[in-house]
Amino acid sequence: MESLMELESQTECVSLTAPIWQDVLAQAVTGELVAAMNYAALAGICDDPEEADQAREHEEIERSHAAAFAAAGRKIGVDVISNVDGKHWKRLREAFMRCVAERDTIGCLIVQEIMLEAFALASYSRVAIVAPGSLGKVFGAIAADEQEHADHAMAILKAERDANPPRFDDKLHRLHLEVMTTLAAMLAKECKDGHCEVCQTSCVKPSLIEVNLSAALLRGASLQQYLKTLDALGLPGEITLAWVAQLPV
Amino acid sequence: MGCAVAGVGPQVDFALVGHPESWSAAAEVFSALRGPELTPLPDDEIRDILPWIPPRAVCRVAVKSIADAEAHGLYIDSFIPPDRLDAACVRENLTRVRAAASYAIKAGARIVSLGGFSSILLEGNFDQLPAGHRTVFTTGNTLTVAFIVQGIETMCAQQGRNLRESTLLVVGATGDVGSGCVHCLATKVKRVLLYARNAERLRRLAAELEAAGVEVEIATDLGEFSEEADVVICAASLPSSYLLLDRIAHDALVCDAGYPKNLSPDAETSGATVFFGGLGQITGGLTFDPDLHGILNRHPFPDVAHGCLLEGMALALEGRFEPFSRGRGAITPKLVEEIERIAARHGIYVAPFFNAAGPLPLTMK
Repeated sequence: MESLMELESQTECVSLTAPIWQDVLAQAVTGELVAAMNYAALAGICDDPEEADQAREHEEIERSHAAAFAAAGRKIGVDVISNVDGKHWKRLREAFMRCVAERDTIGCLIVQEIMLEAFALASYSRVAIVAPGSLGKVFGAIAADEQEHADHAMAILKAERDANPPRFDDKLHRLHLEVMTTLAAMLAKECKDGHCEVCQTSCVKPSLIEVNLSAALLRGASLQQYLKTLDALGLPGEITLAWVAQLPV
Repeated sequence: MGCAVAGVGPQVDFALVGHPESWSAAAEVFSALRGPELTPLPDDEIRDILPWIPPRAVCRVAVKSIADAEAHGLYIDSFIPPDRLDAACVRENLTRVRAAASYAIKAGARIVSLGGFSSILLEGNFDQLPAGHRTVFTTGNTLTVAFIVQGIETMCAQQGRNLRESTLLVVGATGDVGSGCVHCLATKVKRVLLYARNAERLRRLAAELEAAGVEVEIATDLGEFSEEADVVICAASLPSSYLLLDRIAHDALVCDAGYPKNLSPDAETSGATVFFGGLGQITGGLTFDPDLHGILNRHPFPDVAHGCLLEGMALALEGRFEPFSRGRGAITPKLVEEIERIAARHGIYVAPFFNAAGPLPLTMK
């Protein structure tokens, strides 16, 4: 596989759809920066120095992803402007920081690795299929990267659930109500509560069809990834189905 | 619907694999799962979301026998979208059925009934399913056949029809359910008309029946038969009711045993009696958690389900965890009698008769 830097060194022209990719990249860069900030905060509450180092390492990886997405934008001639204080992202960040305040490392991993990563992994994988040239390759390479470190976190979370399933599942459900409700609103077919504060001008969702994407497709793929992750952890399918059915649309 | 999570569920004796029979059925399940506080999802959202849901349990099921036995299981939905049941989607749908089977194995189910299209897709090739040391699979078709045959015999008796003087048409005659019905009824009627798409299979089945002294006619086009049938079993769904109803006796008895059911009693069938066949009723007790009564089983009578699903429950109540129905036309009158006895021992009987318009009144011809 080509490295992210190699992918950055080419130039391409996708002028007609560039504004769409600009907004897609803005969401991706913002998500990666939020993830980097989350890992930095997680490092601060890890008692085990090795785990703290790992969190810092993940922080760096997420920052490199953000940089790669920004470079991919430059290559198609757009400036990618991120906004970690954008309405939805701010709410997601606050949910994570509440776990940090409680020194709840498992809660942090649930928010970041199960919920946010399910969304990132599924969305990047779908974008990788349709995005032109190196842009698609960058999304594909980063999706693969995300999968790798999600696998590591899954081992920790599985062990935690096996130790006390009801306690783990209750915690997950509380976080689901907070985080997945926000993600579902982000991925709804229409932004019903106003501008997301990340798209450059108007909402990008209606235009996604022009690049063979749609908000419905990204939402479907994300929910599928989320449910599969919960299945892998051993949560009962009939419970998680009800959770997803109750999300806003 | 409670939100508390049960980390470890009760035992899983059986699993029932199904799929939504229509978008409205899927909408009702989603609505029940959302609970009364949330507004139902709009239809377009359900159509967008459902295809992405990985096969999984929708609810826990507990069944009680009149003989004091009890069995616990799961209803697993493969979430095959109702508008993707056609041949073009076979590969995708098989993947879903396999994933549903894996889910059942992982849940520890000892016997799995493959409902609706699940077994049709497999065409009896159980080796396409994942292997589970403790788990066996059954198509459930033997009990379906038992209930179809009981339905025909009971309705004929109720209407004063002489089955022995009847001409029986079986639509989908070479399929697992169709051929099972043929094997059970061919010697009890005057003449048999067999309709299916595969001429070679039709010829083989006809030769077998003729050797047993049965008067048989076969066709791959309903218009080719030399006479009209007065008793009809539709073991396969037809693209349109007209195809069939124009070509049978005006006062025929028609058992719609296809899935989904698509023969409606309307103006064109005013003289015919159409009833839904292959369905049974649990009389010992049936509970769902969450409570999806009347949503998963949308029938005008309580605790009614398709024979294919009931077979797995009956075998679990009997403690017989074996692949009773393996598909591929292996259903014999002897097996039908056996599963009928097992089901009856646990209070599972042929369902009261109804069709799309509601319960059927007792009528004499």
